[in-house]
Amino acid sequence: MRWPWQRRAREMALTEELQSHLEMAIEQRIQRGESPAAARDNALREFGNVTHVAEVTREMWGAVWIERLHQDLRFAVRSLWRSPTFTIVASLTLALGIGVNTAMFAVVHGVLLRPLPFADSDRLFVPSYAMPPFGATPRMFDDHYVQLAKDTSIFEGVAAYGTSTRTITGVGDPLRVSASRVADHFFSLLGARPQVGRLFEETDAAGDDGTAIILSDAFWRGRFNANPSVVGTSIVLEGVSRTVVGVMPASFDFPAATDVWQPWRVVANPKENVSFIPVIGRLKPGLTDEQAAQMFSAYASHLPIDVGPPRQGLVPALTPLKTVLVGNVRTPLLIFSGAIGFVLLIACANVANLLLMRVATRDREMAVRAALGAGRWRLVRQLLTETLALTTLGSVAGIAVALTTLRLLSVLAPANMLPRADGIRIDPWTLAFTMGLAIVTAIVCGAIPALHASEHRLRASLAAGARTVTGGRQRLRSLLVGGEIALALVLLTGAGLLVRSFDRMRSVDLGFDPHSTLVVTVDLPAARYATAADMREFDARVLANLNAIPGVESAGVINWAPFGNGGVSSSLFPDDGRKFAGYSVGALSVSPGYFRAMGIHLERGRAFTDDDRANGARVAILSHSVAEKFWPGENPIGKRITSSEKPDPSDWLTVVGVVNDVVQAAGLVRRTGPASRVTSSPAPANYVPLTQTNVPFFLRRVAFVVRRHEDAPSAPIAVATTHILREADPNLALETVASMSDILGRTTAEPRFQSRMLLTFSLAALLLAMIGVYGVLSYNLSQRQQEIGVRIALGATPGEIARMVMRGTTSLVVPGIIVGLGASLALTRVLGRFLFQITATDPTTFAFVVVVLAVVALAAAAIPARRAARIDPSVLTRATG
Amino acid sequence: MAGGQSRIELLQGTLDVIILQTLRWGPQHGFGVAQMIRARSSDTLQVDTGSLYPALHRLERAKLVEAKWDRSGKGQRVRVYRLTAAGRKRLVAERTKWERMTQAIAGILNPPITEGES
Repeated sequence: MRWPWQRRAREMALTEELQSHLEMAIEQRIQRGESPAAARDNALREFGNVTHVAEVTREMWGAVWIERLHQDLRFAVRSLWRSPTFTIVASLTLALGIGVNTAMFAVVHGVLLRPLPFADSDRLFVPSYAMPPFGATPRMFDDHYVQLAKDTSIFEGVAAYGTSTRTITGVGDPLRVSASRVADHFFSLLGARPQVGRLFEETDAAGDDGTAIILSDAFWRGRFNANPSVVGTSIVLEGVSRTVVGVMPASFDFPAATDVWQPWRVVANPKENVSFIPVIGRLKPGLTDEQAAQMFSAYASHLPIDVGPPRQGLVPALTPLKTVLVGNVRTPLLIFSGAIGFVLLIACANVANLLLMRVATRDREMAVRAALGAGRWRLVRQLLTETLALTTLGSVAGIAVALTTLRLLSVLAPANMLPRADGIRIDPWTLAFTMGLAIVTAIVCGAIPALHASEHRLRASLAAGARTVTGGRQRLRSLLVGGEIALALVLLTGAGLLVRSFDRMRSVDLGFDPHSTLVVTVDLPAARYATAADMREFDARVLANLNAIPGVESAGVINWAPFGNGGVSSSLFPDDGRKFAGYSVGALSVSPGYFRAMGIHLERGRAFTDDDRANGARVAILSHSVAEKFWPGENPIGKRITSSEKPDPSDWLTVVGVVNDVVQAAGLVRRTGPASRVTSSPAPANYVPLTQTNVPFFLRRVAFVVRRHEDAPSAPIAVATTHILREADPNLALETVASMSDILGRTTAEPRFQSRMLLTFSLAALLLAMIGVYGVLSYNLSQRQQEIGVRIALGATPGEIARMVMRGTTSLVVPGIIVGLGASLALTRVLGRFLFQITATDPTTFAFVVVVLAVVALAAAAIPARRAARIDPSVLTRATG
Repeated sequence: MAGGQSRIELLQGTLDVIILQTLRWGPQHGFGVAQMIRARSSDTLQVDTGSLYPALHRLERAKLVEAKWDRSGKGQRVRVYRLTAAGRKRLVAERTKWERMTQAIAGILNPPITEGES
């Protein structure tokens, strides 16, 4: 295309060119002997209208293709307008296909592709030991972090951080907030600046508990009404007064959903305890990613691991921060994108089929246009333009579909399933994607019909050839439908696998009975509950009241409830001096009523009683697998255990009972067998009485478990429980007041959502494929009416005709199923990581899906088959003969 | 102006080939092209400037010819057209086509009366 000023110059040049022509003509005439006046007149007459010549010449420059496109488009719109049914069906099909793909792209772009909002974010890495398979952030040991912070060979700087839920009191109801503690240079490492006040300084951090605090934009607006003079204000967090020093801008949200940041100076003391903390680091300038990864591996292999508890099998890893933030959703998102892409492909195949049929009815039009001199390429272009008009229509409607899909997604998807979800929107990138998709779709849908239609020109004169062309289109349509069936089969298999896996997940034996139980979790702040005795007294007081609620069968308390957040495991040794390297078991403190309240089965010995007092003999209850490991086949009751490597006499506990193993944590997912299989299995645990637990840390967070009688209503008990806890301490924020079944439901929300999504896609695919089968068969039969009429006239029974049609269907469906099975075997493997207790090639699922597909395909064929069987030969022969 | 009756208006596609053919003898300006066509067809073919210039500019756009400003013998600024490599190729192809078509049309218009004649 040319710019206007270029055009002006060209116009002047053209005038000069024509003028020179005229002058040469005059010159020639004068030389021939005409008088100058006559020569001028004659030359002008011969030349014609100069303005007109200039005008028609100018038409040649500009954008011929735009001119033609305009012409093609006008023609396309007219032709689509003339067949509204076709246009509506095709563009709606495309709108659905393009719409959901646009929505998916918005998600992928917002979550995966968009760069992190930090300065030079591609230089930010997370040094860690081994990437856990699920959920958790990669971490490293605190003592190693302290060493790494001193070393500057790899990182410009490293900063530890951690997030926990804390209680803010003093104003109104106690409020639970997400508090992140961060190393003082955390913000500057990320290149972040406060919008009000200042960042942390080195003097703010004092061991675990500095008193400066920085607010998030959302918290500042919500709690302080965006008051800029908030700096200097006091906030009571966990019972300690802290001073606001700054407010971060809304764009800074890391760790995600943080309300307040606290300064943190990691003081490692590996002899006593090592903790596993998340760390970010900014690579030194000049280091490539690979160099840095190698250097970190080498560096980490020299860090001390012989101090403190056993630390084996550590694999150092340097992971980009972005991968850590979105790594868990990357694969599911890509799988969904693929699945949705399949749905669009099927939609395309259907539209292509419609176009093929439409082309068949336009043979005459094409022949006429070809006869009038339209070249083959020109016809192809005309048909492609028509398809493009169709897909454009589809994508405009598709944007509406995408907006709806995104809204539905935000309602239906489990909360916090997607990191960076705030970035999901229909932005220019997404619109560009949609436009590209419309063009690609037009080519995918339109190319085959267009090439076929234009072929007609080459054979138009050959009357006998016409049938061959139709036959070719017939094969093509069958091929398209076969492809649809194959694609639908892949999606159905994927969905089937996820659904079955979800089913298994739900029927897992948890080791406890989640029905009729209510769980309330509280954190006891150190400010008001300084000692273990304070906290035990609180627990006992609440328990006594809970047990008194009418309808309550049993109430108990535990420090880390199953499927709660967190937990502690420790090593455990039997009294005969045997050591089990690397063996660690859950360390849990419970009240006597806990096992009954949770429905955990006592296999041997006794449960704890009120007689297991603080100053009494120290006792323990083992879970089944611990007892089996230490004393296989023996009675463990009366044996002694300890968690201390060099036990004092007082460190020994006497085993008084054995309970079954319990699935303690949703995050406790372990890989077993082939790398693709994941099981969350019951974990070994060692229970001690709450009364004999003296480390305050083990009592800070407790969960009250209330089991009601089967027939007792749940609501009044929940109200009474809340009331009792409020009475006991009005400053406590109650967390997770929920039935255990609900808590479990939450942990399986994600797989449930995934299986439902894929199921929805695959049902849509199935529907589209069936419409394809139906359409092709109907069209086939309408073309074969005469043949069928003759068959019936010659004595074929309706049953025979129906069977003939069904044979045709089989030849359509079976190849599709075979190809689809092959593709499924190859593709469902990507689901392996998400499958629970079934393999990606589960034969039952495959067989079931094939049967479903075959049955539905035959059902789709039944309608045209019945219609064919009822053809009245007399009517037909008259009509067509 | 004589013999208007005997002059034939040219079909568009044909004009392009004729222009290309004319330019084969060397670069030429629009007036020259028109003169040559007329001369070579013994005044039979009349090229209307309203067809000639659009054709030249169309060919230029299709990169079959290229144009540049030059001075005529009298020092007048003229736009001179020259055949490009692509134009040369197109000309060969079009001529082959043309020959086949004329043969075919000749075959129809002058059917062989007896076998062996052509």
